[in-house]
Amino acid sequence: MLAYFAKRIGMMVVTLFLIITLTFFLMHAIPGGPFTSEKMLAPEIEEALNAKYGLNDPLWVQYLNYLKGIITLDLGPSFKYPGIRVNDLILDGLPVTAKTGFLALLCVAALGIPLGILAALNQNKWQDTAVMMLATVGVAIPSYVVATVALYIFALQLNLVPTFGLDDWRGYILPVAALSGFWLSFIARLSRSSLLEVLGQDYIVTAKAKGLHPLSILFKHGLRNALIPIVTVLGPVVANLLTGSFVIEQIFALPGIGRHFVLSISNRDYTTIMGITIFYAAFLMVMILIVDILYMLLDPRIKLADRNK
Amino acid sequence: MTQSPLLKVRDLTTSFFTSRGEVQAVRGVDFDIHAGEVLGIVGESGSGKSITCMSVLRLLKNNGRTIKGTAHFEGRDLLELSELEMRRLRGNDVAMIFQDPMTSLNPTLTVGEQIIETIIAHKNISRSAARERVVELFELVKIPEAASRLGAYPHEFSGGMRQRVMIAMALSCDPKLLIADEPTTALDVTIQRQILLLLKEIQSRLGMAIILITHDLGVIAEVTDRILVMYGGTAMETANVHHLFDKPMHPYTQGLLASVPNVNNIDGEKLKPIPGSPPDMLRPPKGCPFMPRCDKAMEICVTTGAPEFEIDDAQSHKSRCWLHHPDAPQQKGDAA
Repeated sequence: MLAYFAKRIGMMVVTLFLIITLTFFLMHAIPGGPFTSEKMLAPEIEEALNAKYGLNDPLWVQYLNYLKGIITLDLGPSFKYPGIRVNDLILDGLPVTAKTGFLALLCVAALGIPLGILAALNQNKWQDTAVMMLATVGVAIPSYVVATVALYIFALQLNLVPTFGLDDWRGYILPVAALSGFWLSFIARLSRSSLLEVLGQDYIVTAKAKGLHPLSILFKHGLRNALIPIVTVLGPVVANLLTGSFVIEQIFALPGIGRHFVLSISNRDYTTIMGITIFYAAFLMVMILIVDILYMLLDPRIKLADRNK
Repeated sequence: MTQSPLLKVRDLTTSFFTSRGEVQAVRGVDFDIHAGEVLGIVGESGSGKSITCMSVLRLLKNNGRTIKGTAHFEGRDLLELSELEMRRLRGNDVAMIFQDPMTSLNPTLTVGEQIIETIIAHKNISRSAARERVVELFELVKIPEAASRLGAYPHEFSGGMRQRVMIAMALSCDPKLLIADEPTTALDVTIQRQILLLLKEIQSRLGMAIILITHDLGVIAEVTDRILVMYGGTAMETANVHHLFDKPMHPYTQGLLASVPNVNNIDGEKLKPIPGSPPDMLRPPKGCPFMPRCDKAMEICVTTGAPEFEIDDAQSHKSRCWLHHPDAPQQKGDAA
């Protein structure tokens, strides 16, 4: 077991290294640099800035210097925000993003899965039709449309929630709803189809023939097996929600990290691009590892470490 | 057979309602099974033998409905019981073994747990007592190293061993009636016999009644007391097992027996398959379901299904064919 985790973590380090390398060279292949902008800087100033940040060195020297920083967990200074380190940029935005993301995740799991169960247990009845219609709408309509319309109705017309900011709990309602809408619908549909498939299995008939209580059949025999494909999806969903959304953060003016990801690229803010990419990648890999562990707990047929070899 | 039967099924009629129409799977089946008796139900795929048993236990899929009939178990009509009463009976008084042990066990629970939960659902005993009971059951069905196998998962067993687990599960609450739905069909030929002999041995030891559903006549002769032959959702013929093999009266039973290979056949006599295929139960024939394939069919067979004729009371031999009517033309060689 320990050997397995050591192997997995070793593989994660290698993957991360490859991601860093690829991103680093691809990023430098884009024309322009952090100090190219509409307002032309005096060539001497640009030269001085480039020298200060080491951008005149050969690329491989810059690369090695960057790797050196990474080993000490230093993501370097931001090129766009003078005097701010990328570490701080992420640490400042993360609480906001993580909090809305976590609430959205709660909505996805606590509403999506039960709605799917409700639909599956009432297959082809009105409950099923209603849930499936809502879920189809939720999957089909982009989150920014939902966000904008909701903002107009609930914030501007009805004045129930603030138009921006997270000063009190009401501020969270719309961003969380907009963030969770797609995945909630997706998980509801997936839960429904997965549970329906499991409930059609022979071992469910066996459980009925044994005279078990319907709740025991649903939870112990049905849901536990139906959760396996849901967990597969939930790993990347967690990573997706907790790392924020550029669009949602823009619409609700949230100071999260999602916006940095997009802005840093158009700004050629090299260190921020790298920092956010590394952060996302590492986070996603940890989530996938957690999913694999959950798999093993849910399905005894899956063994993490191959004991026979 | 003067004592009242353990299970008495009368006029059982079950249909499935599909987008293509009503599939009449079971069309008025009557049969009895007495305590301690082994009844074999034989028939081709789609003859309604499994659906008959699923109807009795009320385990039909959503689109299946038992339209009429009764199924009295120890005097109570199972089709009239509440869902709660039915739940108390399933797995307890009447247990079931299914065809495919590969898919009939839950892959994510240990085999021990799957039996323990059955015992706890019906008997008022502690978990540890239930555990000990499972070890006994595993020894009864001859699973080697019983005590250490409780914590294993279904995928760690072979097909034959899984069917032993299923049998242990079915026996866990000492059922009075065990329904085995093609318990050997999914297994290797060498394992099939072992499982059947095991069932027979346990039956003679514990004395419960067994309904053994199968399409394999070779399987049935060895272990059953009496046979019910089904075709097109109806019971065609029933008799004590050896009597039925010696003197099959119904043309379908005769055809069925003639189409089975026999090791004693040294003359190189060819097998005689029954021509044609089973009826489409979406539009079953108006008269006898076997009429289109029957070489002895008469005019009356086209329009009216035959009633059940008593052939030999001592052998509980009954057959549903117009040939047994006193006015029917006598058949050569099988005068009743």
